Amino acid sequence: MMTTETGGPPPRSRFADGAAADFLDWRAGDADALGRLVRRVTPTLWHVARAYGLSREAAEDVVQSSWVTLARAADTVREPQAIVSWLCVTTRREAARVVRRTRLEDSTEPAVLAEQGPPAADLADAVLADDEAAALWRRVDQLPPRCRQLLRIVAFEDRPDYRSISAELSMPVGSIGPTRRRCLDKLRELLADDTHRSDR
Amino acid sequence: MSDDDRTLEARLRGMWEATDPAPADLAERALFVLELAGLETELLRMQEVELAGARGEETARTVTFESEHVAVMVTLSGPPGRARRLDGWISPAAALDVEARTPAASARTTADAGGRFSFPSLGPALVQLVLHPTGGAAVDLTRPVVTPAIQI
Repeated sequence: MMTTETGGPPPRSRFADGAAADFLDWRAGDADALGRLVRRVTPTLWHVARAYGLSREAAEDVVQSSWVTLARAADTVREPQAIVSWLCVTTRREAARVVRRTRLEDSTEPAVLAEQGPPAADLADAVLADDEAAALWRRVDQLPPRCRQLLRIVAFEDRPDYRSISAELSMPVGSIGPTRRRCLDKLRELLADDTHRSDR
Repeated sequence: MSDDDRTLEARLRGMWEATDPAPADLAERALFVLELAGLETELLRMQEVELAGARGEETARTVTFESEHVAVMVTLSGPPGRARRLDGWISPAAALDVEARTPAASARTTADAGGRFSFPSLGPALVQLVLHPTGGAAVDLTRPVVTPAIQI
């Protein structure tokens, strides 16, 4: 498609470039660059792991193991420019593995899976701090789980790799782009309801 | 993807950052674990967490970690935010040397023949357990086995 791909650089590209520079510096022997890389990308990996419905504790574990995987495989990363992508794919793979295993053992294990996102109690502070975020959160919560998951992944990944998402979410590659747009449209409809109500 | 789509996704990103932020110390925890990652170690992965009396002051928490060769079940007891007791159980049972690594210091002990070990007072700190290869133990580790870092 040749349309609508305008409007300046994607907002996350500077983030990805910074991470790539950190990674290259670290691989070239600058030990401090690892700290910069980990501090820069960890929040993104957190959201990617949480998209899979992992509890906070399980998500923390997944993010740590992604970094260990990178430390061991650093020399084999073929596209340093795409290091954020590499880390996101690694995190998604591990998160999907944890979810699969947990479902096999006990589909209701609450300590590992927290499908509903942050519990209401956690949200209370955020509601006070940020009305717009709270309103949006409530609407996102009404989307089908698959929409929530996909939107959280693509919101945080710079250039999401549809192929690996397709394998993990068991969706055909060709349906991910359209599903992403449908989910956004659905969310826009829900948000429009809010606007109408407050206009009255 | 239209500009509208991109704008909405940016709002979503802000929403998740506000409602469900990464733990403030998660990057530091990862870096703490990475200090050992350069060595030949085997990473234990968390399997399950059980909370008991989560609403009371005396919170006990049991976490199970597993790798290809060994599993360790860890129970923490005592009030959160203070020094806590850690009881561990290695499976298959083996009298391995166990290290509780924190950013400030390390404590060491040896499990009994049943695989049980304990640290009476740990933290509050970031803690990583390291099971060391031990001569004569029933499990013959070829390299240290480490847990992720947990906040005690």
